[in-house]
Amino acid sequence: MSKRVMVVDDSRLVRVQLGDVLEGTDYEIAAYCRSGEDAIAQYDEVKPDLVTMDIIMQGMDGLDASEIILKQHPEARIVMVSSLAYDDTFERAKAIGAKGFVDKPFHREQLLKVFEEALC
Amino acid sequence: MNTALAREELERILDQAVQDVTECTAGVRLHQGSQSPGEDLCTVQITFDRGFRTSLTLCADTGLLCRMASNSFHEESVSPEDLEEFSKEYFNVLCGRIAGAMFQATQVPAHFSPPVFYRGRYEPEGSEVQFMLTYSDENCGGAQFIHHVPCFDEDDTVSGNE
Repeated sequence: MSKRVMVVDDSRLVRVQLGDVLEGTDYEIAAYCRSGEDAIAQYDEVKPDLVTMDIIMQGMDGLDASEIILKQHPEARIVMVSSLAYDDTFERAKAIGAKGFVDKPFHREQLLKVFEEALC
Repeated sequence: MNTALAREELERILDQAVQDVTECTAGVRLHQGSQSPGEDLCTVQITFDRGFRTSLTLCADTGLLCRMASNSFHEESVSPEDLEEFSKEYFNVLCGRIAGAMFQATQVPAHFSPPVFYRGRYEPEGSEVQFMLTYSDENCGGAQFIHHVPCFDEDDTVSGNE
């Protein structure tokens, strides 16, 4: 059975690229959210197996949104996907409880490996 | 960007990022060359507002950016809105990759403004070109990736980093 992924990113480019990369895999995109607020609102309804979360977005950033989702749903598995990440960002993401980190632009193998590890 | 980094090293970081990000996001291979963009071109630009006092500009043939947008969005025709959206998102990812590579090299965390898109050529005010990398693709579309630094002023004896 496919694993359901909720993609949280305000970039159309990334949403299309994720769709391409996940095509033909055991993952299906269950929902797209364009903001952290949208992700929090949709999480309950979508109930994804995995969330990919951009960090820098309009409005609430991905770290704050992840923190809220994980407080409400400690079982949530969130992978941060960002083009700009420094050590303190990695540390905060890990402290919040993110399960992995992927740089943009991502390659298929790299993304699938992080997904697999996040779901272990 | 950072005076502690040799210009050759900085050029290498920028070139690597341009080639990797362009191929990965748009499926287009760019090669360094001497062909400047033609008359019909667009510019996308960011300014570092933390870490470095520089700006990065991509000035490219509209046709090249349209091909990249078409590949990325899987759309045969690219509207002006698509072109602007793609150019800004592509450049945002590219500059994020560059800022990450610069952080690895210098330990200076940087932050940059959202990309701004212009029809035609745009030169940031109060700055001068430090160097320029020129590219073309297999369809002879040209692009210039330009590193601008602030013009010398009396309070600033070092251009580049904060």
